[in-house]
Amino acid sequence: MIGFIYGLIRAGIPVSVHYILEFYRGLRAGIAPDLDRLFLFARLVFVKRVEHYDAFEQVFRETFLGDPAVGAEDWEALLSGKPFEEWLRREVESGRLPPEALRDFDNLELLERFWRTVMAQDGEHHGGDTWVGTGGRSPFGHSGRHGGGIRVYGESVHGTAQKVIGARRYIQYSDETPLKSENLRQVLSTLKSLRPVGPENELDVDATISRTAKNGGEIELVFQRELRNRVELIVLVDNGGYSMLPYVDLVKTVFNKIRDCFRDVRFYYFHNCVYGTVYADPQRRQPVSWEKLLASGRKTRLIIIGDANMAPAELMASYGSIDPATAIRKPGFVWLCELRDAFPVSVWLNPIPRDHWPWNSPTIGRIGEIFHMEDLTLGGIKNATAYLNIQGQGVDQAA
Amino acid sequence: MPSVQHCVSMRFEGTDRYYLNPELREIVNIAIAMGKPLLLTGEAGTGKTQLAFEIARALNLRMEEARCKSTFKGEELCYVYDTVLRLNDSRFGSGDTGRDVNNIWDYIRFGPIGRAFTCDDRRVLLLDEIDKTDSDTQDNLLDVLEDGAFIIREINHKIRAKQRPIIIITSNAKRELSDPFLRRCFCHYIPFPGPEEMVKIVRLHYPDIPDAFLRASLETFYRLREEGFEKPPATAELLDWIGAMRAGGVRGPGAGKDVAHIGTLLKRTQDILKFKGIRKSFRF
Repeated sequence: MIGFIYGLIRAGIPVSVHYILEFYRGLRAGIAPDLDRLFLFARLVFVKRVEHYDAFEQVFRETFLGDPAVGAEDWEALLSGKPFEEWLRREVESGRLPPEALRDFDNLELLERFWRTVMAQDGEHHGGDTWVGTGGRSPFGHSGRHGGGIRVYGESVHGTAQKVIGARRYIQYSDETPLKSENLRQVLSTLKSLRPVGPENELDVDATISRTAKNGGEIELVFQRELRNRVELIVLVDNGGYSMLPYVDLVKTVFNKIRDCFRDVRFYYFHNCVYGTVYADPQRRQPVSWEKLLASGRKTRLIIIGDANMAPAELMASYGSIDPATAIRKPGFVWLCELRDAFPVSVWLNPIPRDHWPWNSPTIGRIGEIFHMEDLTLGGIKNATAYLNIQGQGVDQAA
Repeated sequence: MPSVQHCVSMRFEGTDRYYLNPELREIVNIAIAMGKPLLLTGEAGTGKTQLAFEIARALNLRMEEARCKSTFKGEELCYVYDTVLRLNDSRFGSGDTGRDVNNIWDYIRFGPIGRAFTCDDRRVLLLDEIDKTDSDTQDNLLDVLEDGAFIIREINHKIRAKQRPIIIITSNAKRELSDPFLRRCFCHYIPFPGPEEMVKIVRLHYPDIPDAFLRASLETFYRLREEGFEKPPATAELLDWIGAMRAGGVRGPGAGKDVAHIGTLLKRTQDILKFKGIRKSFRF
């Protein structure tokens, strides 16, 4: 049974001691007299998210059905094993499998090709059994993580093992980005903007008593609007150009979390530096005018996610936009200042680690003078939300 | 914690009005036996809310129902202290209502959770669409549900559940629920019923429907679901549709673009136009 629990943990399902105790309590009470009910009971106790159903089913199957089907570890061994490695190298060298294409393949497809070759080779590898090697390192192990390509090691090995289970009813709910998103959520949820909203229907007891006393005991009710957390948020994302490419995954994680955590949040996109118009879609085809953006109101929180890394001329010179056909005379610096003025509660999140800022690009420093800048780490985001909350308090109260 | 043995005696076996998936039946029974809140998620029209009503009906228990709103703070589900009424009574007298101004209990009204905790019989407590509430509210409710107790702040009085209610929570997953909340519930995702189950569901509502008619309707229904409309038709739409066709005396559901009473299946203008093959931009 302990093996089962560790299997769950290995499969990436968070298990707390609390669950285990509950599980035993249920078993002792005879909740699960047969395998079907054991399955359901274990799932209810251990799995809280539909994304994990699939992984759970595999672990359960492995532990209790004793299915000889290949487990996650075996796939890992296979993928990092020598024969696969060699096959991959040969394919790439011979040009049958261009490296660019590798990025587009998932493990499943790759394995399929591997199988096909092995079958076709007819004996060169002493049949189809012996090549399941162990040890060795995958040449593409970590580089794969980068471009979303072949993740030979790590998380998506899972995705391959999914191949073995028959009914994969929950596969379409699989996690998109499990990376650190839990901590992120906690940090983001601290972002607050308490404002009086709605009708005046909360009784202000203190004011009522004092008014009533002044009135000589004749009751006078004083109502007030209640305070509620109403964060309005605009997120401006730099999604253009190669300079942001290495950070796409990171930004995506943060991005998805922001989307989940707040109800009123709008996303706009820009390329390198803001010159007036921003865009409502990632392809930057639906322009949103500068005036409309600025009219969002001073209470709106603004988060800019970008590397602030550009040619100095893009920031400081007239007609500096990266778009060569630009007709905009105002330099980016001025636009950014306007943006800052319109959104007093704003912060810039930079995916480049903080200690790289000074030597990465001079424009980072200049933009840092306009916007409060934090890096895209957990700590950085924590600081950023704290900063927004402090700045925001003043703005909320002033209105 | 209620003793597990005590609760095992209660078993839910479904009712004649509601088709119960055997898996779901076991899940409900496990949740009842363990005394844990059961969180049901899944697409609209999979019978999440209905399940709570059927549990109450099958076990012959009374229902306490809380339809969540985004403005809820959590406390009003437990109790409401009516200050204004008390002030009014203190000034003008309570008349013949029997309320005593000096007794705060006369001015405390219990919400669904409060009623479920204070009553003598065991009840089914439904928290419908919990995801509409703020995450703060959910966190407030956590402790209440876990301990089976809440405190009336005004008089610092702790209300303990005499009988742990059977708690059913539903969520449409409009927003993600917090992890601590999930941790304290049993969570179950109800998948959309497949054709075989759907036949049984429809039969419960229309027992005398001809076989061929039903098969043809379901075929069209699942085809439409596959087509990626903005709001794909769900069980409720299917039942409406079959009802409409029977009331209208239509022989069959029709094929291709010629589906009878399409308005009952597709609700959005955009979807209907798409279904009929008319692009919006081509209409002047």
